[in-house]
Amino acid sequence: MIRLERVSKTYSRGGTPVTALQDASFAIGAGDFVVIRGVSGSGKSTLLNIIGCLDSPTSGAYVLDGADVSHKDDAELSRIRSQKIGFIFQSFNLLPRTTAVENVELPMIYADKAVSRTRAEQALARVGLAHRERHYASELSGGEQQRVAIARSLINDPALILADEPTGNLDESAGAAVLNILHQLNDEGRTIILVTHDDEIAKHARRVLLIRDGVLRESEASA
Amino acid sequence: MNILHFLRSVVRTPSRNKARATLMMAGVTVGIASLTILTSIGESTRRETMKRFKNMLGTFDTVIIRPGSSKNRGMVSLTNVEPSLKFEDAAAISGQVPEIRQVAQIQNALDIDVKYRDHNGTPAIFGVTANFLDLRGDQVAEGDFITDEDVRSLTRVAVLGADASKQLFPDEDPLGKTIQIGDVPFVVRGVMVARGAGPAGGSLDNLIFVPVSTASKRLFNRDFLTMLIAQLKDPANGQVAIDHIQTLLRTRHHIAPGALDDFNLTNPRAVMEQVTTMGSTIRKLLLAVTILATGIGGVVIMSVTLIGVSERHKEIGVRRAVGASRGAILLQVLLEATLLSLGGGIIGIVIGVGGTQVVSRLQHLPFLLQPGAVLLAAALSIALGLLFGAYPAWKAAMTNPIEALRD
Repeated sequence: MIRLERVSKTYSRGGTPVTALQDASFAIGAGDFVVIRGVSGSGKSTLLNIIGCLDSPTSGAYVLDGADVSHKDDAELSRIRSQKIGFIFQSFNLLPRTTAVENVELPMIYADKAVSRTRAEQALARVGLAHRERHYASELSGGEQQRVAIARSLINDPALILADEPTGNLDESAGAAVLNILHQLNDEGRTIILVTHDDEIAKHARRVLLIRDGVLRESEASA
Repeated sequence: MNILHFLRSVVRTPSRNKARATLMMAGVTVGIASLTILTSIGESTRRETMKRFKNMLGTFDTVIIRPGSSKNRGMVSLTNVEPSLKFEDAAAISGQVPEIRQVAQIQNALDIDVKYRDHNGTPAIFGVTANFLDLRGDQVAEGDFITDEDVRSLTRVAVLGADASKQLFPDEDPLGKTIQIGDVPFVVRGVMVARGAGPAGGSLDNLIFVPVSTASKRLFNRDFLTMLIAQLKDPANGQVAIDHIQTLLRTRHHIAPGALDDFNLTNPRAVMEQVTTMGSTIRKLLLAVTILATGIGGVVIMSVTLIGVSERHKEIGVRRAVGASRGAILLQVLLEATLLSLGGGIIGIVIGVGGTQVVSRLQHLPFLLQPGAVLLAAALSIALGLLFGAYPAWKAAMTNPIEALRD
């Protein structure tokens, strides 16, 4: 599904180059559930952005679904995000003053298929929020907002779901519900990549990648 | 991209922030409304001015000769002019100035009581020559106009203007009836077709024509004229004719070199051109101001959209993450700005059309809506949205989704 070969990312910050990611090489198979663990500033967000086609590597090759996407232009990367990738963020990132169901519909607008209210409603039902369709984001609890965000990430039926600290802003039970849904999605065959600094969550993964100072290695704990 | 739903999403976004949308539309509305009113009123004013001057003068292709050195624009009458313009001057001009086809003689007075039985009024009394009718282009509704024979033999006949006729004969046929002008009886020979409103908006039909000779000898006992109207053979020769008439009259009136004329000469066409040029200069100036105002509306669009883009920084990041390309974001912001601008423009057109109607009524102008002006206003508001939305849209498109999502 995903293969990174010596992927590096260097930013220029105030004139001095900063290496956020150095020679990352790994592969993730279709249907895997992988946790990338690292402290804040370790480069894990950079890695996730590259995998999510929001960013391009400075050097190295990123192969997604058999195609090298390291040097694609904005329109092509946008199309890949739209078709193959679902994002879940720590702060949910729902559109304000917009209902739950309209938030879920959002990715369909930018995809090449018809927008279906029914599918959006099904996706919300799927995460247990059928009764919350017409509620605005501000009227939902954190856990509910994150479940709306999950429904949104699913709506274009992506093979890969990227979750950046999805439970970081949630209490334990809401977090557990979110993780539970992610595991269900994984059971359906979707590839899940979850970024966290939380060891507890890492325990649930079949495979854990550790990242520190931009350098990635396989965790000994996983196998 | 799903165009239909994309557009729906574009339409919905402003409704999520009504204050911002209102502000954006207001600027355009003001500009477009004033532009619509200005173009419509400007054009109807120009046409109405032309029409009213035409009503008053009949034709512009004349030289008007009046006694006195100052260009008195008010109504002249026997009581307020110098006695410098004589009957012989009229004959000399028509005989000796080659550019002139014919000269009408006028001797008029105001404030003369006119009676028919128990009806009375004070219409203006105009002593005129027979050629006045043809020269001015007036028409007789009933009966006949004054003839050359009337002028020769000092007949006491009168031709009534439409208003004077209505006043003296509210329910009778005036033809053949005898009216008293001052103390002198006159037989009504004809009634004129109404001319319509004059430049100041007043009636041009409250008057009575009598032969100029009768007026001079039997009514007023004055041997000078209040006005001559000399008809040009060629409309282009107005200035040449004026020069010739001036030389002729100065000689006839024995005016020493360097002394002022005791008459004044006007070519209505030249005056009209001045008036309309002045009018169009003022209109151009107003138009520039209005375009400036509309431009300020555009700047409002730009700044409010820019604020919107920075407020929606995160939203743009989310849209990018779920598959929106830079192009899609650019298009969305641009269309939003254009839509709001067009919306403001349409409201402006509606207000403008209403305002035009109000101003027309107050100014007694015909309501003249120019479809071209409305289309122009609509096109202008679209153009404003595109032009002033372009920079914010570009900024939005250049938003780095990673940074936007991190905030």
